[in-house]
Order: sequence, then structure tokens, then C-alpha cells
Amino acid sequence: MATYVLKRFTGMIVVLFVVATIVFVIVRIAPGDPAAVMLGPDATAADIAALRDRLGLNQPLLVQFGVYLGQILTGNLGDSIFLNMPVLTALGQRAEPTFFLTLFSILIATVIALPIGILSAYYRGSLFDQASTTLAMFAASVPSFWLALILIQVFAVRLGWFPVAGYGGPDTTLLERLHHLILPAVTLGVVSSALILRFTRASMLDVLDDDYIRTARSKGMAEPTVILKHAFKNALIPILTVIGITAALLISGAIVTETVFGLPGIGNLVVSAVMRRDYPVIQGALLVVAALYVLINFAIDMLYLVIDPRVRF
Amino acid sequence: MAFGGLVTSGAAAMAQDEPGGIITVATIGEPNTLDPMAATGDLLGMVTQHFLETLYTFDKEWNVTPLLAADLPEISNDGKTVTIPLRQGIKFHNGKTMTADDVVASLERWLKIASRGQLVADKVEKVEATDANTVTISLSAPFGPLPALLAFNNSAAVILPKETLAEPLTEFIGTGPFMLKERRPDQYIQLVRFEDYQPLEGEADGFGGRREALLDEVRFVPVPDANTRVEGAVAGQYDYAELLPVESYDRLTGQTEPMLTESFGWPMFIMNTKQGVMTDQTMRKAVQALQNSDDLMLAAFGEERFFKVDGALYPEGYVWRNETGVEAYNQGDVEKAKSLAEQAGYDGEPIRILTSRQYEFHYKMAQVLDAYLKSAGLNSQLDVVDWATLVQRRADPALWDIFITHSPFLPDPALIAPLPASYPGWWSTPEKEELLTALNTETDLAKRQEIWSDIQGLIYEQAPFYKVGDFAALAAKSPKVEGFEASPWPYFWNVSIAK
Repeated sequence: MATYVLKRFTGMIVVLFVVATIVFVIVRIAPGDPAAVMLGPDATAADIAALRDRLGLNQPLLVQFGVYLGQILTGNLGDSIFLNMPVLTALGQRAEPTFFLTLFSILIATVIALPIGILSAYYRGSLFDQASTTLAMFAASVPSFWLALILIQVFAVRLGWFPVAGYGGPDTTLLERLHHLILPAVTLGVVSSALILRFTRASMLDVLDDDYIRTARSKGMAEPTVILKHAFKNALIPILTVIGITAALLISGAIVTETVFGLPGIGNLVVSAVMRRDYPVIQGALLVVAALYVLINFAIDMLYLVIDPRVRF
Repeated sequence: MAFGGLVTSGAAAMAQDEPGGIITVATIGEPNTLDPMAATGDLLGMVTQHFLETLYTFDKEWNVTPLLAADLPEISNDGKTVTIPLRQGIKFHNGKTMTADDVVASLERWLKIASRGQLVADKVEKVEATDANTVTISLSAPFGPLPALLAFNNSAAVILPKETLAEPLTEFIGTGPFMLKERRPDQYIQLVRFEDYQPLEGEADGFGGRREALLDEVRFVPVPDANTRVEGAVAGQYDYAELLPVESYDRLTGQTEPMLTESFGWPMFIMNTKQGVMTDQTMRKAVQALQNSDDLMLAAFGEERFFKVDGALYPEGYVWRNETGVEAYNQGDVEKAKSLAEQAGYDGEPIRILTSRQYEFHYKMAQVLDAYLKSAGLNSQLDVVDWATLVQRRADPALWDIFITHSPFLPDPALIAPLPASYPGWWSTPEKEELLTALNTETDLAKRQEIWSDIQGLIYEQAPFYKVGDFAALAAKSPKVEGFEASPWPYFWNVSIAK
């Protein structure tokens, strides 16, 4: 077990080093210049050159890469070119909306997907099953920006129940900020539920035909107990994996939703950093997201141990 | 529902509790910096003009008028000494009183780092405090546009306390009617009323005259998605939302109302006069002859109420307006273009149109332009990139032949971006340089108008760029917002919210 954790930890470091290198190279290869973007449309070539110099962008790439690695090792992700603050501070400011948005979205997706998926598998081939499969296809294929605009139109503009966009002003309480997250969370929750629903159904179908289910039933066990205690528990590993992966994807991938709802989250930060070529923010944010992704995967693997005693490392 | 209402209209609720109220303004995004000297950009100028002020500004008719200066600059007979009297007792947001030393240090920084400042920097011999309340700028040659440059909020000569001047600027302490309280990037920029602000006497007059912070707070909220800005305005979440898609005009009802600012700006096709196929003036004339601005503007802006087809480089109401050369505008003559291309010896070289979708109307115009060029047998190619890439690529003359951009109508023609030879396009002919120097060194308005008229004629004759037309900007304003005056750079002093 300890060896396994150590191995996984070393693997994580290697993965993060590779990510840091690839992101650094890609960001530098991509056309566009942060100095030119920052100075605006009427800047002269001399202004741009002077700012590039000040930002250290005229140094050889290897030197820049060395500086970057040195910063990472000391737990510093550098300073944003545009935001007038360290990358870590910028990420810290974005952590709250992204964390709650991901949490709410996953909760909504799970609450939708698990019961429907379980019942769909149990009543395989029934009208309910067909309806839920159609629903899942709809949820998987609906563009999130379209769903977001419909929700805004109905629940924010017509009914006035929720804010149209944003994350509150300077004096808003946590409760008010969370209120801003409901429509985006529903949007992402619905879209994400499709995958979890289909995994739940497939995974349940796999176990429902197993011998131990037949045995449980032949012992006269109540049907809900058979389904939830025996079948569902054993079907949980792939479901948990897909929930974990969805959560990891949401941290960085809620870009469209964050843009439509004007949420200052990590996805939004990465997109604006890419548009502005804010190299330190792109590098830092992607590194942190990669680290979270790796950690979530690690946590899922650890959960396997708890859920299924047969899993050994 | 009550809960929803409570939170969605948080700003409105606050407005009722406090005397002046809060206004929430939805902007197209987050400014790249809050240092208006360091960069150009309309959003930056629009936001920062509320807390950082310049010596001069513009009145309703776009005349230069004093702001932190006590009077218009006194210019010596030889045009080389510009004396600026300062208002006394002006307080910065940190409580310090503005001195001539602060002004000198700020202007020196502006000359050094601002792209507009650099237009004059090589002619400035000295900026000095001649006494506690007077600043004198000594020039090696007269420079007519200097007052306009000092007044402009873009790449602006803002006055900051000397001790806060740094590279990059980290404190944004000015003298404006509002002061910066907090900036949360991509969430809000919060400005609060500056109690010690000393407004000018008299009536408000455009950006000039009396400025009063009637509101307690102005909050700029970046909302990059245009549809969300529309819906937020309709729902009453934003008191003002800028730059909306014109097609949403009829949607702006209920808690908001549409505001159309006519002649807001002008799109232009810049031609590469330094390298490639467009260096040939006859080829540029061929491209010019092809353009049908009615089609181009219709494709880009949808309905005629949102644009004007007008060849003059300034719209009605500006002292700079003239009709010189406009017969070369809006020709839409394919046969003439073909004949000109033949005359130029065009042999099918690609004509690369560099554009982006950052501004959707640029892209729509690029498509029409592409079709026009092809209709005349010219081998055009669209190169669609993101804005950051476009800004980089346009700096390299080897990479493009025509690129698309736009500008608001600037208060002085010397500020028009593609005029200096350093701007991508690199228009530099002896005739143009002579006229531009004359425009820059002349200080008499009537004479400058004549020179500008000649420059406009030369633009049509040498075709370094093509003005496509005038477009209107659509904004949404809550009916509760009172005292608001439409302008290319909306401002919220002298504005209040009806209770």
C-alpha cells in the first residue's frame, strides 16, 4: 500500500513536469504577443519591444523555462502580466466559484442520473428505460450555451428568481454568491448527467445478471435491498470513476457556461488568459488544474479500496 | 421569488437604502490594465476617466476645455512654449494636494510610456514647473495637436501623485469624482464617490464643465457574452450595458430602454503599402473602386438605422468634416477595378485579408471584401485569426495585404491611427509626410482644418486605407438612470438614479 502510494506520487510529479513543459512550449509556439495585446491597438513597435523586455520575454526560451521551473519548485507560479497580482492569488480568487459550481453541478448531475440510471437498468426495455435513454441523449447533445440562455430567459428574466449573470458585487454574502451559481450549476448538471446516467445504467445491467444477485433474491431478500445494497454497491466503481472524471473536467471545462454567466471561475480565467496571452496565468492555471485532475484520480483509486475489498494494490 | 428578487436586485436594493445609490454597468470585458498611460483601448479610457483625470478634456462640440488646468494653454507666438496654469487646491484621493511637481512627473511619464505621448515626445525639450501652479512645456517645433493629446482619455496624460508613479503602476490614485475602491478581475471594478472632489464651476458641457458624483458607487461588471448583457439589462440587473448586438434593439424593453449612439465609429480596410501587392497605388485604387459601402455596412450591421454610408472621415457636427475626395468613395465598380488591376500588371498574386472574429462585423466585412476581390478576378484569401494573433501579425509586413480594424471618431485628426508612418500599413509618401507635418505644427484651427481637408483628399487619392462607413452603437439604459449623456466613452458623473 505504502509502495503503491509512493509510486503514484512519483508518477504524479512526472506527469506534472511533463504538463508544465508541454504548456510552456505550446504557449510560446502559439502566435500572439502579450505585450501587443496589453498595449492595445495603437501601440508602436518600440512600445511593444520595451514591454517585452520588461516582462522578460526577450530572454532565450531556455532561460525563461529555467526561471519558470525555479518558480514552481519554490511554490510560486509567477505574476500575471495583466492582473497586477501573483498567479496564485488570481487562482485563489477563482477557486470559490469554481469549487461550488463543480460541487453543485456534480450533485445535480448525480441526483438526476443515479436514480434514473438504476431504474432504467432495472426496468430494462420498458417505456421508462426508453424515455430515460432519450432524455440522456438529449442532455448529452444539448449545447450548454443554448440551455444556459433558455434558463436565463425563463428563470432570470421572466420569473426573476435568479440573477442573469455574475457572481455578486463587493458586498454580497456567501449565500448571495451561491444564489448566482444555481442556473450555471443546473446547466452543467443537466449536461453532465447524461454520461453518469448511461454509465450507471450500463454498470447496473452488468451486475444485475450476476449469480450473487440471483442468490440474494432466492434467499427472499426484499427487492430494494437487492438493488441498492448488493447490485448498486458493486456497480459503483465505474460510476464513481465517471463522476470523478466529470468533476475534474468541470474544474477546467466549464468554459462556455462560465462565459455565458459571466462567472469569474478558473475556466473563465484560462480563456481570458489565452485570449490575452497571459503566459504565467495560462501556465499556472493549467498546472494547478492538472494537479487537481491527478489528485482526483488518485482519490478515486483510494475510494475503490473502501468500496470494494477485492481491490488490492 | 422574493428571495430571487432580493439577490438579483442587490444593487437596486442598496440604491434605495443609500442617498446616491449604486449604478451597475455591464462592460464588454475586463480592461487589460488600469493604467491609462500604458495602453490604448476604449474600455480602459471609459473606466479610468472616472478616477484619473487629465489637464484638459473635451466639451460637447469636441473643443478642448480645461479640467485640472485652470485655463486653456497659452501658446507662445513661435508655438514652441506651452504654458499651462493649474487649478489650485485640487486633492488627490490620498488626501494630498496636487502640485506642479506632480503634473511635471506625470507628463514626463506620459511622454515616455504612452503611445500618444510618444507622438510628441521627440519635440519636447523640457517639461518644468515654472511656479507652484504653472507648468511649461518647451518644444523644439510647434505641435498643434498637443492640447487634444493632453485632453484625450485614450493613452491618457492623467495626473497622478508623483510618489505613486511606478513601472508598472500599482496604485491608481487620481483626482476624479470617483475613486477606485476595489478591483476583482473579471468580477467587478468598484468606484466610490470622492467626497473632496472639487468640481468646476458652471454647467456640465460634454466631458467638461461641472462634474459631480451624484452616485455613491459605480460598478463596472465585465460581461463578455453580448446576449448575457442584453438579458441582464432586460432583467434590470444592469443599469447600463454597452456595445450590444444591434439586432437586439427590439428586445430592449421592460426594465431597460435602447440607446443608439449614431456615428459611433468607423471600420477601415488598411492596405499594406510597405510590402507585397498593395504597395502599388494603382492596385490600391482597384480595391478602392470595388467597394460598395452599402453592401458592406448592411452585411455587417443588418439594418440601415444602425449605419450611415458616408465617405467623409468625420461625421456631421465635427469641425473637421469636409467632402474632399469623397467621389472615390462607394464606387462599387467591378469593371473599373479590373481595368486598374490590369493597368497595375496584376498577375494573380494572392491578396491576403487579415481579420479576426473578435469583432463580428470585421469578419462579416471581410467576407464581403473577399467576394468583391474575387468578382474582379483578384486572388483574395481570408486569414482569420484571433485578435492577439492579428495584432502580432499585422506588425509584420510580409504576412498580410489588407487588414480590418475600426476606430471611434477622434477629437483631432492627428490622433487617427493609420496616419503616422509607424502604424501597420506604413503609409509614407512625401505628400503625406509634408501634410501631416503641417497639420502637427500648425496651431491655428482654421488652417489646420484646411490641411486636414487636403489630407482627406490624399487618402482617397493614394488609398492607403478605405473608410467603410459610420456605425452606430447600441447600449441599454435603465429608465431610472437620469442625467446620462450618450458618448463614445460613457461616463457616470452628473448621473443619478431615480428612487
